[in-house]
Amino acid sequence: MENREILTPSTRIKVMGVGGAGNNAVDRIRLEMKVMDGLELCCVNTDMRTLADSPVGDQHLLGRNLTRGLGCGGDPHLGKEAALSDSESIARIVDGYELVFLISSLGGGTGAGASPIIAKIAKQSGCLVIAFVNMPFTFEGERRFKQASQSLEELREICDAVIPLPNDVLLQEEAAQESVLHAFSKADEWITRGVRSIWAMLSKPGLINLDFSSLREVFNARGGKTLFGVGSGCGPNFIRDALNDLMQCPLLHVPDFSKVADNLLVNIVGGTDLSMAQIEGVMAYITEQFGSKASTTLGAVIDEGKQQSIEICVIGTTDLGGLRPLRTKRSASSPWEKGRNRLARNSASGKPGTTVEGRKTDRLEPVNSVQQDLGIDGLEGTRGYFEETGRNEFGGQDLDVPTYLRRGIRIVLT
Amino acid sequence: MSSKIIAGVEIGTSKAVVLIGEIVHGKTLNIVGMGMTSSGGVKKGEIIDFNAASDCTHKAIMEAEESAGASVEAVYLAQTGHHLETFFSDAEVTVKSSKNIVHRSDIRRLLAEAKRKQLPEDRAIIHHIQNGFYLDEELVESPEHLEGHKLEVRYWNIHGSIKRMSDSIHIINGFGLRVEDLIVSSLASGKMVTTKEERGNGVLVVDIGSGTTDYVLYKHGHVVYTGVLAVGGDHITNDLSIGLRTSSNLAELLKIKNGKASLQPKSQDDRVMLVGDLAIGDRSIARSGVCQIINARVDELFRLIGNDENLAPFFSSSQWGTVVLTGGTSKLKDIEKVAEKALGLPVMLGGNPSWVAEEIQGPEYSTALGLLHFGLSYNHVKEFKERKRGGALMEGVKKLFGI
Repeated sequence: MENREILTPSTRIKVMGVGGAGNNAVDRIRLEMKVMDGLELCCVNTDMRTLADSPVGDQHLLGRNLTRGLGCGGDPHLGKEAALSDSESIARIVDGYELVFLISSLGGGTGAGASPIIAKIAKQSGCLVIAFVNMPFTFEGERRFKQASQSLEELREICDAVIPLPNDVLLQEEAAQESVLHAFSKADEWITRGVRSIWAMLSKPGLINLDFSSLREVFNARGGKTLFGVGSGCGPNFIRDALNDLMQCPLLHVPDFSKVADNLLVNIVGGTDLSMAQIEGVMAYITEQFGSKASTTLGAVIDEGKQQSIEICVIGTTDLGGLRPLRTKRSASSPWEKGRNRLARNSASGKPGTTVEGRKTDRLEPVNSVQQDLGIDGLEGTRGYFEETGRNEFGGQDLDVPTYLRRGIRIVLT
Repeated sequence: MSSKIIAGVEIGTSKAVVLIGEIVHGKTLNIVGMGMTSSGGVKKGEIIDFNAASDCTHKAIMEAEESAGASVEAVYLAQTGHHLETFFSDAEVTVKSSKNIVHRSDIRRLLAEAKRKQLPEDRAIIHHIQNGFYLDEELVESPEHLEGHKLEVRYWNIHGSIKRMSDSIHIINGFGLRVEDLIVSSLASGKMVTTKEERGNGVLVVDIGSGTTDYVLYKHGHVVYTGVLAVGGDHITNDLSIGLRTSSNLAELLKIKNGKASLQPKSQDDRVMLVGDLAIGDRSIARSGVCQIINARVDELFRLIGNDENLAPFFSSSQWGTVVLTGGTSKLKDIEKVAEKALGLPVMLGGNPSWVAEEIQGPEYSTALGLLHFGLSYNHVKEFKERKRGGALMEGVKKLFGI
């Protein structure tokens, strides 16, 4: 263990739960993930009682002078003030980490108010910031909905990737008898799967440097929508089941998500019986489905304990409407060259039992020409049907969002 | 023999429809050609991609001209979309003549007064619809030469964004054709699916297209209210594609083949296949779930109309009123049942007049037919006035804001 760390310094990852819902999600990650090298959890809140209930050791109270540890009472301005007043301690929390997962619910005061501030501080200290945010139910009312949308916009400007998890959609995932509360635990489950998948990709030996940089590359545009989906399958038809599961991942069918990504990261965690041909098949299917125009980055990790099972995680970002951060070095090297480097490094890390694969399947066109081509024609029908039209607001609701989601009607299809 | 070839063009969200009519002697209309292409570049009734919308509209016009064997002289163009806004205006004057007989100059003063409202620079009036004259608070069709003290007029005005409207006009101009007039979709289709008696008694026509729902309320034979909601059949498709996690194309097919607006009891046995080819992604789904998704959207649509404050008097009065549905989405199974439940009024599916040919009987052609009908009546009025007053006065029924 120690030897490996000396050879390839592990990517340091911080998982921050902000606000009540964020704290709960972090608790869940703690329960579910037994091994967590390089992954550190922490809870941030303005409410002392919620913090005290959390089994996570690393806890930070924000805005002690403002709220006296009593929470924000749903007021995002108070949440923002609290985070600003403690910006120095937030900077200390994120200092030295390469990757920060920010988890919060934008329906609450602390989540909506403090998250953008924390994200900004983390960005300033050079972290890659991926946010998983819970969106309140539409029927919770206009005020919450507006506050959450506003906060989401702010986060999109700051973070490298923002993955919104709308409660409206999560409710659909539950069996008919279960209560609304289960939607929250469902959100935590998606977050856990996402965090675990990215962590697994980064924490495996021989891949670390390579894949953290590819992760950075995938997230080199900000401000746009993110694509995120997880699917798993096991049994005799595990590949097919996993692809079916992935295509049905509710997060791929939400108005807030992009359906096509310009930069796509696919991570596959499979058993020892996973063959190269199978990986090729999965990749071909996914590239076709999500049609990454610029590039697709693949990571495949073999989990020795698994047989006949696979978990696929897809994360993508769109360049369009995105603010490009200043990262000139990366775009300078040609995609061909990058591909070659990666292959070379792969062959060096051939360790039996932990076969590892990381490469880029680039198309022939250079990245720049593709971007020029992205006129409105290219967008037609790909980025969510009503994407390029104005919002259809009526009485505080967006009429383009399916009615059954806004009304909280649970659709039973099975 | 004087004849004129006119075209009704609807650049709709799912299709561009062109009907060509021949007006003979200014009073008979023969439908001589049609063209239809599935459109692109239009969403929720508004043009979002000019080139795509332009190409398919031009294709439809070409097709129509070919089938008619004639070239179009003037185009009547349908307008819809979220940009349309409406307001009510009225004016009143005291009759000047000492004998209290209404003179033409009184009417002229009155009409000028009623239309004086200034619009913002980027908006233009599409229709000033006269709701009749009131002479001493009594409705009269034509007040000239009648006796009374106070003369009133009421107008229903529809205005739209100049930018949006000129987009569609440019498409027609791009084909080398002149737009004679713009007509709001609901007015065009409303006239087609209702009879004079129905409009006299009071009727609400709801035209549900792919991208928008246009509605118009008639009372005493006049248009008293119009509205547009940017919700249509595409929303049902999109809801299905999100709910069933499938592509829009498959959702659209499923909607047409198996869609139903009413709810049905949950049953394990009543299932539909998503695609039917058993490839990855194909699976069987409970029909009741599909109905749930469609029902929620359709119910909401009618409730939005039902909650429109301006329609409140219509819905509360019991002595008048039926609701007539038209537009492509009105073909959805059981839609009238859901509408009846949501609106609390009898709802009928509208049909085009029996004189139109069978292939254009469907509710999706009501708007284009209505456009020709408007074209006919304008030409009729024009010829009549020209004979009477020697032209000039009615030259160009309305200015098309200098485009």
